Amino acid sequence: MLRKLIVAGALAAMTLGTNPVHAEFPERTVENIFPWSAGTALSVSQVIAKAMGEELGVSVPVISTPGAAGTKAFITAMNRPADGYTIFDGYVAPLVLQPVLGNADWTYKDFKPLHSAVSNAFSIGGRKGETRWTDFEGLMAYGKANPGKLRYSSGSRNNLPHMVIAKVLQSYGVVAQNIPYKTDGDARKDLKAGVLDFSFVNVGAYLQDKEGFEILLVLSELPGAKASYDGAPSITDLKIDLGLSGLAPMGWTWWLVHKDTPDEVADVLRAAMTRAMNRDDVKEQISRVGFVPLDWDHTQYDEIVGPVAGQLGAMSNALAWEEEELKKLR
Amino acid sequence: MLGNKQVNWLVIVFFAVIIAVVFRQIHTSMMEQGIATGGPYDNAAAYPRAIAIIIGMLVMFQAAVNWFKRRPVSPETDLTLEQAYRPMALLGIFALYLGLLGVLGYHLTTTPMIIALLLVCGARPSLHIVVTALLIAFALAYFFEAHLKVVLPGGIYGLNIPW
Amino acid sequence: MLVDSLVAGFGLFMTPLALGLTLLGVLFGLLVGALPGLGPLMGIILLLPVAIGLPPVAAMGFLIAIFVGGSCGGSISAILLRIPGTPLAAATLFDGYPMAQKGRASDAIGIAISASALGGLFGGLVLIFAAPALARVASNFAPPEYTALAITGLIAIAVISDGSLVKGLIAGGFGLLLATIGTDEFSTGYRFTFGTHHMLNGFHIVAVVVGLFAISEMAYQAMSGDLLAKPKITVARPGFRSIAMTLRHWKNLLRSSFIGSFFGALPGAGGVISSFTAYAVAKAMAKPEEKYGEGAEGGVVATESSNNATVGGTLVPSLALGIPGDASSAVLIGALLILGYFPGPTLFEQQPEIVGGIFLVYLASNVFLLIAGILATPLFVYVLRVPKVYLIPTVLLLCSIGTYALQASVFDLFVMLGFGLVGILLRAASYPLAPVVIGIILGPLLENNLRRSLLISQDGYWIFLERPVAALLLGINVLLIVGAIWFAVRQGQKSDEKREVPEAP
Repeated sequence: MLRKLIVAGALAAMTLGTNPVHAEFPERTVENIFPWSAGTALSVSQVIAKAMGEELGVSVPVISTPGAAGTKAFITAMNRPADGYTIFDGYVAPLVLQPVLGNADWTYKDFKPLHSAVSNAFSIGGRKGETRWTDFEGLMAYGKANPGKLRYSSGSRNNLPHMVIAKVLQSYGVVAQNIPYKTDGDARKDLKAGVLDFSFVNVGAYLQDKEGFEILLVLSELPGAKASYDGAPSITDLKIDLGLSGLAPMGWTWWLVHKDTPDEVADVLRAAMTRAMNRDDVKEQISRVGFVPLDWDHTQYDEIVGPVAGQLGAMSNALAWEEEELKKLR
Repeated sequence: MLGNKQVNWLVIVFFAVIIAVVFRQIHTSMMEQGIATGGPYDNAAAYPRAIAIIIGMLVMFQAAVNWFKRRPVSPETDLTLEQAYRPMALLGIFALYLGLLGVLGYHLTTTPMIIALLLVCGARPSLHIVVTALLIAFALAYFFEAHLKVVLPGGIYGLNIPW
Repeated sequence: MLVDSLVAGFGLFMTPLALGLTLLGVLFGLLVGALPGLGPLMGIILLLPVAIGLPPVAAMGFLIAIFVGGSCGGSISAILLRIPGTPLAAATLFDGYPMAQKGRASDAIGIAISASALGGLFGGLVLIFAAPALARVASNFAPPEYTALAITGLIAIAVISDGSLVKGLIAGGFGLLLATIGTDEFSTGYRFTFGTHHMLNGFHIVAVVVGLFAISEMAYQAMSGDLLAKPKITVARPGFRSIAMTLRHWKNLLRSSFIGSFFGALPGAGGVISSFTAYAVAKAMAKPEEKYGEGAEGGVVATESSNNATVGGTLVPSLALGIPGDASSAVLIGALLILGYFPGPTLFEQQPEIVGGIFLVYLASNVFLLIAGILATPLFVYVLRVPKVYLIPTVLLLCSIGTYALQASVFDLFVMLGFGLVGILLRAASYPLAPVVIGIILGPLLENNLRRSLLISQDGYWIFLERPVAALLLGINVLLIVGAIWFAVRQGQKSDEKREVPEAP
């Protein structure tokens, strides 16, 4: 009796769960593997996931899987079946930057894109009431005169803002020490407390406390980014070439699936995500946070993502340069 | 038969092994990554090494205490094999369950695991415990999957119930 | 201005939707808190998608109520089963469980709920009256101050590990080491990951805590005699009397709530540290006849009031500065942003009704917690009447699902099992388990802030003496350590004397 019941239960479970994948995808919850800790960016992914879930007719929970600059989330998702039930939240850091730095062995070609999601512009900001300089050129002049004395934060080490800031500093010949923080908020707190000299400030943080920051340089070439910082100077206003053209807007994420996922499944997800990203309520909610909703669809994936790897590769020497110069000063 | 004294020594050995692993990792993996030397920006080994040394000193002190102390620390913890059988069986079943969970999935493994645990805990084999086990397994699955949107492990067959 | 914002927010708060969701949030919070594994953070993340479709005050009420209920719920399983439902309740075990063993389970839960709610309300007053000022103080805490504070937290281990100071310190050091596993924030290198991607972010703290406490406890429970027996426990209904019992410890309540609000207002400190600190302080200041560790009401009052006051505290930097006080409030900020409001000084100026509404839903959550929690206490205590034969498998399964749900990882379950074995071993050799938790929580705070301080400093370790607050905190630490050693030596002598007496013929 006992055994019969178990077998019956197991069979029931099996018939419920193993219909062919393409019969009526999706049959159950689809999971998004998100590469960072809980915070604003997670909430933004949850907004898209919720809308996408409504389009698909199933829930799409976002699972925070932080670790190793986002690569843990990618490996976790790769180890799952390529059945469309797992979506990669493909931030540029784990998707392109970590492979460029030699910390991961995949390329953007190992994934099938669904749709681009959001981008997040950032800037170099100082605190209000700074007396040592009044603008970015002044900061650079100070840094040049005091090598190794400036303290700044890009959030974490070797992330995208770090690379861009290091590149900018390198082109001015300024050596400064990056201080890694667990969360961006802590870095901005220490900037305001006078412990740091400048820090990366994203749009969301700026919108929360416009009076608290002096935005020195917007690290994006998009006019929209400049506008979100109320017209603060951007890299296009500088007379130097950073080799950044086309890279902007940076800090984007594309939602991806494993490349072995059947096309008909990927198409269902693509259609749902495209509808979600085109919804006005979704765009509005994303914009409120200071993120930019993106409307590139999967056909533009190669064209947008392809060149980025090369550009980041060219920039990664800025990180090495910074490390070398700091070592020399010690 | 495992006495309090032996358990105390076992813990000393446990911590000694951990300290050894810390030093071993610093000299192998961290060296290879180039994070075992330098200043606070690059040296990831200094802090765990310091902690390991402090633990090492404390463990040596504790070992000396164990050695010289004649009185048992707390006499009631002496354990006989008969007493240990049930928790060991319990942990064994649980470990087996976790091992199979990733392969066969939640729905195939959970009910048998609960039945086995009920039997180990002294329940008599009957239809009653099968029903209880099924109820517990599926009620919890329903709560977590249908309401909290958690996808429980489906195993290699991808067994998930679309509630 | 303050009264104005409360008045302005009153209209948004006094809607059936806002009130109903706040109550629902408290109940859901109690549930996720009490279940091993899930806690307030997961509760908030799981229901955020629901909340962002709602009017702002109702949405925030829902999420904040989960935070409030979840910060209290862990105490219920700690008291009844000796399993902290969340790491926040790890210090509630010390006296809550012994109270339940003495037949005072309802009292203990009643006190835990009353203390949580009252502490939460205290945190609310701090939030309302002192948010900008406190936020200013807290925002001047920089890495050197955090380093000093982390050391203070470690000293608490000395107070809570009775009669086995060395074992407590070893366990605490073990926790510190565990916290180093994963990707190093500074060098970006991998430490103790043994080449597996599962370890890239270290062990999940919840998997460790559930393993250490819950799995080991179930193994111990399985050892006890007849598991089929239906425990005959007469459950007294303390009802609202437990509020009076809690208020009898008013000094402790105020002090612990203050500690909780303060640690809450410091971004990165959080509820676990505040509950352990409040417990250590309460124990150090208690009279010997109160018998902390053997079922003292004061112990439950201290831990539960402080960890819920922390909730109010974390909202201080979150709302006043837009800097999250901890992970849960980081998600709350995310929700608020999506709803179209920017926490920070401008929110107070431009949308006072939202600030007022949030204050009100926070206060209401605590009131609902008090009423609903106390009414539901007999329901919770019913767990004690379940024969162990059913309890053990159910708890083990709940631990598994609850821990799995954190990041959909089977590896976390093996971590849980592994730490179950470690817990059994440590308990068998009478090593206290709580210091392991303290070590894991304080580890990153200590190491990262120490290294950050040294990086920021232009002249090495002098940075700790150049900053007055850091220097002061370090001075206090030195005094505490000297005091702790003196205390330990005296205790040692006393217990030696005690032991020798019965042996004399």
